[in-house]
Amino acid sequence: MNFDWTDDQLAYRDRMQAFALEHLSDDVIDRDERSEFAEDLWQRAAEFGILGLYIPTQFGGKASADIQTAMLAMEALGYGCSDGGLLLALNAQMWAVQLPILHFGSEFQKERFLPRLCDGTWKGAHGITEPSTGSDVFHLQTTAEKVDGGYVLNGSKCMVTLAPICDVALVVASTNPAKGKWGLSTFLVEAEQEGFRRGANHLKMGLRTVPIGELHLNNCFVPESHRLGKEGGGFATFNHSLEFERCCILASQVGAMQRQLETCVRYAKERSQFGQPIGKFQSVSNRIADMKVRLETSKLMLYKVAWLKSQGKSAMMDAAILKLYLSECYAQSSEDAVRIHGGRGYLCENGIDRDWRDAIGGVLYAGTSDIQRNIIAGLLGV
Amino acid sequence: MTDTDPMKKLMSFIQHELMGNQTDPISKDDDLLGGGHIDSMGIMRLVAFLETEFGVSVPPADVTIENFETPQTIADYVQAACRGRS
Repeated sequence: MNFDWTDDQLAYRDRMQAFALEHLSDDVIDRDERSEFAEDLWQRAAEFGILGLYIPTQFGGKASADIQTAMLAMEALGYGCSDGGLLLALNAQMWAVQLPILHFGSEFQKERFLPRLCDGTWKGAHGITEPSTGSDVFHLQTTAEKVDGGYVLNGSKCMVTLAPICDVALVVASTNPAKGKWGLSTFLVEAEQEGFRRGANHLKMGLRTVPIGELHLNNCFVPESHRLGKEGGGFATFNHSLEFERCCILASQVGAMQRQLETCVRYAKERSQFGQPIGKFQSVSNRIADMKVRLETSKLMLYKVAWLKSQGKSAMMDAAILKLYLSECYAQSSEDAVRIHGGRGYLCENGIDRDWRDAIGGVLYAGTSDIQRNIIAGLLGV
Repeated sequence: MTDTDPMKKLMSFIQHELMGNQTDPISKDDDLLGGGHIDSMGIMRLVAFLETEFGVSVPPADVTIENFETPQTIADYVQAACRGRS
């Protein structure tokens, strides 16, 4: 077992971190208050190659990182960029939109969509959740009726990351309701398609800087060339994509936990009460020690899952454990950071509270913690 | 029991591991997912079982009704995969 990164991997991580610190930090506190997406930061990130780091050059990507290096880079991104909404937007598009197109798409689809997504021109959303089906995802109501030359889609999706500003959406719909889970198919729906409507951005507790909303399909024709994978292959694309998403989408939170820890250590040394730095009080130092333990154990799980995927191995169990553990660790450490900063942590003007509000989103999206526990127990045969 | 005859191991895994030793036995032509015998998690466990037990690789795009509807279609898929490997 070798825990060393290569010099090239570390250099790539350092470049990512330096870029994020210099170019992806702005007035996020104000934008959070306004629930405003940073279009300029999105473009900067795309130009640096973040969106395309795992996509082959022939499809507009940079192909600059294997999956392990990509995880290390996304961790560094989370350290340097404190805009949790932007991080979710980037990660959601990379792992839940681009990757399914790369893995299941036809040459036409890869050539049409991936270059536009990688260079930031287009934004992609993945519509799964519906008003009546959340975690019970396979009982979705959206239908795709086969017609001459394609399909006619009807239905609605909700809680979709980037939906209000997306240019293309992956939409899971039933092509054969009688076949249940085997009757699902996935489609690439372009925003300009007649009958496709994007909903407004929801006001949220956290992750305010990423637009999240609904997608509506009303007799929306989608050509056959835009079906992703086989008809009836929606079950496969869904499971594969969600496993990959669980593996990758929280890597940036590890970097955020490192940043958070350093901030808390610094504050615990600088802030004095009762004649000594507050870090000398065990009620503070124990919290910091727990944050360090959560950070290191989360890192180990992330790296193990990245290694499994790099070997082409299944990571069903490990991905569920990672998603559950890492998201809960980040939420707990974010709460600890607020407690360590006391009243200052509670004031929005210092930005400490934002991590906590953002972190709660992480225990909900890409499968809630309870769903991850169901997966873990199910894989144990319980 | 060889790779050319995976049905016995397959049926045993489905009956005992995925269905929890339910008294009603399944037949080789039962619709596993559509018939409610196993759930979507069961399909994923089944994929992992095939890869481990029979040494076949199951690409995500192959997890379709054509290959995974019944024990018979799964056995046929495994046999074809084993032939392709040899």
